[in-house]
Amino acid sequence: MIRRRRVAAAGGYYVCAASLAILFLYPLLWSGWASVHIGSRWSLQNYRNLLTYRDGIGTYLVNSVIVTALTVAGTLFVSLLGGYAFGRFSFPGKNVLFLATLAILMVPYPTILIPLYVFLGDLHLQDSLVGLSLVLVMFQLPFATFMMRNAFEAVPGELEDAALVDGCGSLGVLLRVLVHSVRPAVITVALFALLAAWNEFFAALILLNSSEKFTLPVAVVAMEGHSFGSIDYPTMQAGVVFMAIPCLLLFGILQRSYVRGFMSGALKG
Amino acid sequence: MRTYLRRPRRAVLAAAVAITALVLSGCGSGASSSTSASGGGGGGGSADDGTTVTMWTRAGTQTQTQALVDAYNAGHKNKVKLTVFPNEQYPDKIATSAGAHALADIFTSDVVFAPNYVSQGLWSDITADFDALPFKDAVLPSHIKAGSAEGKVYAVPHAADLSVMFYNKALYKQAGLDPDKGPASLAEFADQARAVAKLGGGVHGTYFGGNCGGCVEFTFWPSVWADGGQVMNDAGTASTIDSPQVQAVFKVYHDLYADGTADPASKQEDGTTWLGALQSGKVGIAPGPSSWLPLIRAKGVDVGVAPIPGVSGGTSTFVGGDVAGIAASSSHSRQAWDFLSWSLGDSAQVGVVAKSGQIIARTDLAANQYAAGDPAVLAINRVMANGHTPYALNFNATYNDPQSPWTSTLRGALFGDAGSALAGGQSAITKSLNQH
Amino acid sequence: MGAAYAVPTAVVVTLFFLIPLGLVAVMSVDHWPLLGRATPNFPANYTDMAGDDLLRRAVGFTLKYTIIITVVLFAVSFGLALLVQNPRPGVGALRTAFFLPTAVGFATASLLFLGMLSNEIGPVNPLLRHLGLIGKPIDWITGSPTTALSSTVGLVTWRFAGFNMLILLTGLQAIPTELYEAARVDGAGRVQAFRRITLPLMRPTIALVLIMMITGSLLAFDQFYIMTRGGPDDSTTSVVMVIVRQAFVKFNLGSAAAISVAALGVLIVLNVVQLGVLRRRDS
Repeated sequence: MIRRRRVAAAGGYYVCAASLAILFLYPLLWSGWASVHIGSRWSLQNYRNLLTYRDGIGTYLVNSVIVTALTVAGTLFVSLLGGYAFGRFSFPGKNVLFLATLAILMVPYPTILIPLYVFLGDLHLQDSLVGLSLVLVMFQLPFATFMMRNAFEAVPGELEDAALVDGCGSLGVLLRVLVHSVRPAVITVALFALLAAWNEFFAALILLNSSEKFTLPVAVVAMEGHSFGSIDYPTMQAGVVFMAIPCLLLFGILQRSYVRGFMSGALKG
Repeated sequence: MRTYLRRPRRAVLAAAVAITALVLSGCGSGASSSTSASGGGGGGGSADDGTTVTMWTRAGTQTQTQALVDAYNAGHKNKVKLTVFPNEQYPDKIATSAGAHALADIFTSDVVFAPNYVSQGLWSDITADFDALPFKDAVLPSHIKAGSAEGKVYAVPHAADLSVMFYNKALYKQAGLDPDKGPASLAEFADQARAVAKLGGGVHGTYFGGNCGGCVEFTFWPSVWADGGQVMNDAGTASTIDSPQVQAVFKVYHDLYADGTADPASKQEDGTTWLGALQSGKVGIAPGPSSWLPLIRAKGVDVGVAPIPGVSGGTSTFVGGDVAGIAASSSHSRQAWDFLSWSLGDSAQVGVVAKSGQIIARTDLAANQYAAGDPAVLAINRVMANGHTPYALNFNATYNDPQSPWTSTLRGALFGDAGSALAGGQSAITKSLNQH
Repeated sequence: MGAAYAVPTAVVVTLFFLIPLGLVAVMSVDHWPLLGRATPNFPANYTDMAGDDLLRRAVGFTLKYTIIITVVLFAVSFGLALLVQNPRPGVGALRTAFFLPTAVGFATASLLFLGMLSNEIGPVNPLLRHLGLIGKPIDWITGSPTTALSSTVGLVTWRFAGFNMLILLTGLQAIPTELYEAARVDGAGRVQAFRRITLPLMRPTIALVLIMMITGSLLAFDQFYIMTRGGPDDSTTSVVMVIVRQAFVKFNLGSAAAISVAALGVLIVLNVVQLGVLRRRDS
C-alpha cells in the first residue's frame, strides 16, 4: 500500500519534472527545427544565407572568438587577483572599491556607452576588438569579483598558513595553493564571461564601426533586416542556432564544475 | 584639419587626472561646426587618388548601395569601404558616433531624418560642389530640400523610394476589375478593395501598417497632398493633422478596417512584416514603397503599379528613401564627393540603379532604356514629379519612433474615435515638433 | 600588500566605469549637443523629467513589471530548485535542462521568442489552436498590452529561471541535513520543516536573488527594445527605453544623462538598504 503510494509519488514527480524540462527545452528545439526549414520544406538555405553574408561568417566568427577570448582572459586576470585581495587581505579603500565594482550593475548600460565610446577614442581603442573586450571585462567585474571573493574567503586559513610557512610569498601562495582550491569558481567566472562576451549585441554595435570587425550578434541582426517591411525569420533562427550551439556544448562539458563553482562561492553576502 | 578633433580629446584625458566639472565641461568645446567640403582634403590634383573612403548605410538599402560601391570601386582608384548596420539601430549608431566625433567619411540616412542631422551639423557643406553639377536641377528636388538649410546643401539623394499603390492583377481579374488600371481616386480604391474582398477564401481587400508611424505617413499622406491638403506647415513646426483632407483619408481606411475589407492583422502591423501581405498574393490592393516591386514579383505575384490618389482624384507620392552626405568630421571630403557626384551621374543612375530595377534619383532620366520596357517602373518614375518629402527637425521623435505622438494619433484615428484622436494628436504633434 | 592585487580591478573600474560615469553626471547638468560645445543647463534636465508624460508612464510600467517579474520568476526559480534539490536518478539532466537557456544570450533569446511567437513561423499559435485552447491566432507580441507583457514575462522567466534556480539550489544544499532529521524526529511535517528551517536559513540567499531580480527588472531594456519595441501603444516602454530614446532619437544627451543619474540614485539607495539587511542577518 505504502509502496504503491511511493511509486505513484515518484511517478508524479517525474511526470511533472519531465513536463517542465520539455517546456524549457522546447524553444531551443523549435529554433533548431525552424533554422533548417523554409515553410514546411527542409532547407539549408538559411544557413547558406548566414555563411555568405557580406564579409562571410568566418570573419564574424573569428571576431567573436577574439573578443570572447580576450574578455575571458581579462576577466579572469582582474577578478582572480581582485578576489584574492578582497577575500584574504584588508587594505584602505577595500570596501569602497568593492562597492564601486558592484555599482557597475546599477547603471543602465546604454547610458554609459556614449562616454565610454568617447573615452575609448582617446585611448585609440575605438572600433577595436581590444577596446570592446575591455568594456566587456568591466561589465563582468561585479559578478566575477563577487564570486572570486567568496571563493577565496571560503578557503581555510590553514592552507594558506602552511604555504606561508614553507616560505612562499603571497603571490606564491596564490599561484601554487589557492588557485587550485578556487578552481570551480574560476570555471564559473570564465564560463559566464564567455557567454556574455559571445552574445553581447548592443555594446558591440555601438563600439565597432567597420563591418569586418563585427561580431556574430551584430551581423545576425543586420542580416535579417535587408528589406524594409519583412524579417527573414528562418535565417534569423539559423543565426540564433549558430550562436547558441557552441555555448550549449560548452555547458554540457562543464556542467559539473560550474555547479561546484556556485557552491564554493556560496552566497553569503 | 584634424585640430578640431584633438582639443576635446586632450581635454577628456586631462579630466581623467582631475575630475572636475569645470574641466569636463570644457571637453565639449572646441568642436567647430561643419567644415566645407571644398576646404578639406588638401590642395589641387585629382580627387581619385587611391584613398579609402569609409561609408555607412543601413541594412534596408544595402543591395543598392553595395551595387553602387562595387561599380565605383571597379572603375576608380579610390576604394569605398561600406559598412552596413541593422536598420533599427542605425540612428543610435549615428548618434553615438557623432557624439564621439567618429563618423565614417560618408553616411546615409533616411531622408526624413536629414533636417535633424543638418541642424546638428553632422554633414559638411557641399553647396559649391553640388552647384557645379550640370544636372543639378534634375536631382530629386525634395531630397535636396530635406538636406539643405539656409540655402546651403549638405546631402544628396542616395536611394529613392516612393510610395505607390500595388494591386494584384490576378485577383483583380477574378473580381471583375480591369487588371491594367489602378484607382483614380481613393474612393475608387476602397470600391476596388471591397470588390476583391468579396472573393473570400482568405483573400483580403487591402492591408496597411496600423501600428507603424513610418508606414502610415508614407502611404496616407500622399492622398492628403493630392487633395491639396497639408499635414504640417512648411517649416515643420506646426501640425495641421486635424484638417478635412486628413479626416477624409483616415475615414476611408477606418471604414475599410471596420467592415473587414482590410486584413485584421493590419491593426498590429508594426512594419516588420508589412511586405509579407502583398507577397502572399492574398491582398487585392495596398499602398507601399516602390522598392518592393522586385520583391513582390520575386514571389510570383503579378502586380500593377498606380500612383496614390487623393480622395476625389489627383495623385501624389511620398518621396522617401535615403540621402547621403559627407561627415563634417571627415578628412577625405574631396574623395568622398568624387563618389557621391559619380553616384548621381548618368552611368551610375542608369547603368547601375535603373538596370537593377531600383528607382533613380534624377527626374531627367525618368524614361531611360530600362524603364521604357517596364510600365510599372515608368509609372513610378513619372509620379516622382508630383511628390513631396515632408520637412521637420524632430521628425523621428514625432513621427517614426514607436513611442511617437503620431503613432498614438493614427491608431486612434484608424481604430478609435477619429475626431478626438486627430484633434488631440494635432496639439501633441505640434508640441513634439517644437521640442528644440 | 593586498592592495597590489586590487590594482587591476581599481584600474578597470576607474577607467571604464567611474570616469564615464563622471561624464554622465556632467552631461546631466549640461545641454549637450552631438557636435559642438556643451552649455550649462541646470536644473532644467532634471525638472523637465516631471513634465515628461512618457517617462511618467514608463516609471509606472517599470514598477509594475518589476513586481510581476519578481513574483513570477522567484516562484518558478524556487519551485524548480525545490524540485531538483534531492539527488534522484536523472536530476542532473533536469538541472541541465532548466539551466540551458542561460547559454543563450539575451538578445539572441529575444530574437528566438520573436520568431517563436510570430504568426509567420511560430509554432505557438498552431499548437494552441490544435489543443483547442484558442479560436484564432493571437498576436502575442503586439496584440495588446496584456499579451505583450505576458510574452515578456515568458521570455524572461525562460531565460533566467535556471540561473536563479542554481543560486537558490546552492543555498538549499548548504543547509545541513541533520537539521531536517532532527525536525523529523521531533515530529515536524514537511511544511513545518520548510517554514522553520528552510526559509530562515535561506534568507540571505533569497535576499540576494530578490535584489538581483529587482535591480535587473528596474533596468530592463533588451527585451522591450528587441521584442516589443515598447508597444503596443507605449504600454511596454521601460525607463531605460526612455533614456535610450532621449539620447538616440531626440539627441538630448543631457536629459538622458539626468534620467540615468536619477535611476542610479534610486538603485544605490535600494542596494545599500539591502546590503545592510543582508549583512546584519548573516552575522
